[in-house]
Formats: sequence, structure tokens, C-alpha cells
Amino acid sequence: MPTTSTPRRTPRRTPCSIAPPDLLARVARQGTPEQRDAALAALAASASMRTQRSLLSRMRLELGAETANLFAGLEGASPTRRQTVYDNESQGRSGLPGTRKRGEDEPPVDDPSVNSAYDGTAATYDLLQQVFGRDSLDGAGMELISSVHYGVNFDNAFWNGAQMVYGDGSGQLFVKGALVQALDVVGHELFHGVTSFTADLTYSKQSGALNEHFSDVFGSLVKQRHLDQTVDEADWLIGAGTLVPSMGKALRSMSEPGTAYDGDRQPADMAHYVDLPDDNDPRNDNGGVHTNSGIPNRAFYLVATALGGHAWETAGAIWYRTVTERLGSLAQFSDAAAQTMDVASSFGDAERAAVEKAWREVGVLT
Amino acid sequence: MKVSVVRGGGLAGITTRTELSTSALAEADARTLAEKVRAAALRESRPEAGGPAGPDRTLYEVVIDDSGSVVRSRFTDDDLPESVRRLVEWVDARPERSHTRER
Repeated sequence: MPTTSTPRRTPRRTPCSIAPPDLLARVARQGTPEQRDAALAALAASASMRTQRSLLSRMRLELGAETANLFAGLEGASPTRRQTVYDNESQGRSGLPGTRKRGEDEPPVDDPSVNSAYDGTAATYDLLQQVFGRDSLDGAGMELISSVHYGVNFDNAFWNGAQMVYGDGSGQLFVKGALVQALDVVGHELFHGVTSFTADLTYSKQSGALNEHFSDVFGSLVKQRHLDQTVDEADWLIGAGTLVPSMGKALRSMSEPGTAYDGDRQPADMAHYVDLPDDNDPRNDNGGVHTNSGIPNRAFYLVATALGGHAWETAGAIWYRTVTERLGSLAQFSDAAAQTMDVASSFGDAERAAVEKAWREVGVLT
Repeated sequence: MKVSVVRGGGLAGITTRTELSTSALAEADARTLAEKVRAAALRESRPEAGGPAGPDRTLYEVVIDDSGSVVRSRFTDDDLPESVRRLVEWVDARPERSHTRER
């Protein structure tokens, strides 16, 4: 972890150039608007050092939307969203990406799947960039590639490590065309890319369930922000309306795990943790990664609703910093609890208390 | 001969089973199925095969039961051979196939 007390080696001529970064951060948090702007400028002036860059990124999260423009100016050229959507034309893996259909800033085309992929990708990029200051999945502006109409009646969508693929669905499991239309599904899948560039959580058992959890959190936040929903207005469902109606209402419920569809086995607390082996049996789902993610999902829901307002502003910022800065690839639920609590401390006592209470309620802290 | 395709994982984590028997098919279609099975050249997978999958990949188990001789092969979206994909898609498209949820 970078500390906040590393002295700068090359002081610049700024109003606060002799101040250490932790003092500048405190001034930015607590000072008048003028003092805040001067302190941020001083931090930015020496931001070539990794420590200061990390601190600036953290200050952006803590200070929120009011200072977004200021940060854009301090950190140099504005990040630019870059994306292209292709049609796989049912060719599957060997035909990726497919035929180019729509690039960034190009007008809608006559294929609703292409336009949905474009809009969902844009909404996800914008959440990452505008709220968390992250320029694309890798933090370095990578182009976002999507292929729709992947395979034949393919009942899935995923980030394959280089691009998004979206199946049309068979009408047996998923409603045809529904996956790419679900903003939280798009956000969920793209966030797997963010995780792969940061915590890189191993996709097995608890670390895999955390990988799933962070994707559900940020997928839900993409949707909530697009709809401008407060925590009370959000439905806290993942993939609502994507399953055929006879199966159920959604893939997962973050507020009430285990209630999304008929046969949903997600536990809401550790007392009901489902211990599945991680073998290559499709029934065991990499050791229950989509099952036990219900436990941290509910913890996030409890934190967000305890803090109120827009979930992406504080709860989302705590979770974002945890997955991008704090967790290693083999992190367990207890690590996520400890790190979210520690991160929450920098937001305030109430925030830390809310996070601790949530992890206790789901039984990760005892 | 019976072909069973169990699919799990994916973004939903829901497991389904699709089955098709040659006995349910007209003779020409049964021959086509047998040809596609031969082309798929399925081999028994070791139970512990493979490392951690990529997130949300579909996990496949394809089982061929040919008069009691059973071969069980497992794949993910990343390593599903084209010949197996063509077999699965053909089975999916047959009106005679059954499609059910597993637990």
C-alpha cells in the first residue's frame, strides 16, 4: 500500500510546495474551496510520483462530483472514451470480433443489439471515468470492443480478456436479445475486466465469489447511475427481465439473495455458505462463485442503504478503492471486510461503522 | 445412442441439461447425429482437468452414451472445439431434444 507520508523528492514552486502530501490532503478535505483548490494543485504538480497519483485519485473519490472538472484540469488531457461494436454473425470464437458496425461517436445503426452494446459500454466507461477517475478498464484508456450475435442462440455474455461477447439467448434460458439490453449485465461483464487489471481475484471459491461480487456491485451502479436512482429507488436486482419469465425475475438479488429465480441458492449470510468443490463440473460453478457472492452482495446493499443517497458516491467509492488498491488475487471474504472497513475510515466514522455493521450482519465478522 | 449436454457457469450460474437420443430421430437424422458425434472425437476428461476458468465462461459437460459405453468430456467457452460446438448447436436445434434445469 502506498502511504500518505512519503516526502516529495522534487518540490515544485506551488503555493503549498513545502507541505507534505498528507497535510495537503487534509487541507483539500477540510479547507475552504480556495484552500482546497490550491492544495489539489500542489498535489497535482508532483503527481509524477506514484504516491501522489494514488493520493490524487483517492481525493477525487472523497471529494466527489463537485471537483470533477478541477481534477480533469489537474490531471492533464481529458480521457477519451473509445469503443467499437462488431457483429459476430453467429460465428462464435473463431469469428471474433466480426463485422464492424459502430464506432465511438457514430450514429445508431438499425440493429438494436449493436446500439445496446454501444450504450451499455458508454454508461460503464462513464461511471468509471466520471465517478472514479478511471480511464477505461485498464486505467490507461484501452479501447472497448464488443461483439454481438455471438454464436447460435448462445445463452451467455462475458468479457473474454480482450473484448466483450454477447449471445442472443436461446429463449429457453434467456429471453432472446435481452442480455445486451441489460445495463447491469454489461457493467458486470466489463467490470470483470477492471478486476483482472487490479485485484485479479482468482475465479474459484471465495476469491471467485468476490470477483463476481464486485462485478455485481459495479454492474448495479452502472444501472442505478443511468437511472439516477437513490438507494431506496434501486431494485438491487442483477439482470432483471433477462431470464424467460417462467424461470424468474432476475439472475440475482443483492438485497434478498436467494429470491431472484426459482431454484436460486444464493445465501444471505455465512451460516448458509454453500461449500462446493472447484472442479470442472458445470454443476459446481467454479466452487459456487455465483452462489456465495450473495453474502458480500448483501453486505454492500446494507452499507449503501445505511449511508443513503446515491450508492456510487460513498459505498461505491469504498468498494472501488478496495478492489483496485487493496485486495490480492486470493482474497477471502474476511479480507474484503477488513479492507472495506479500513478504506471506509478515511470517509468518516459513520461510514466505517456502517461497513462493520454490514459485515457483522452477514456473518463475515463475528 | 444418447447425447447429453450439461451447461453451467456463465453469467447466471444456472445449470441446464439438454438431451437427444437417436431413438427419437428419423433414420437420416440419427445418422447425421452419429456423424457429428464421430466428428467431435470426444474423449473422457480427467475430473481435475483445467485451472481456474475465466469469469462467466459457460462450462460444458458433453456425455455420449453409446449402448452403455459412456464418454464424458468437459469444456469451457475458451476451449470448446469447433466440432463439439457444431454438435451442441445441432442438438439444440432439434425439436426432439429435451431441455431441463438441473438442481
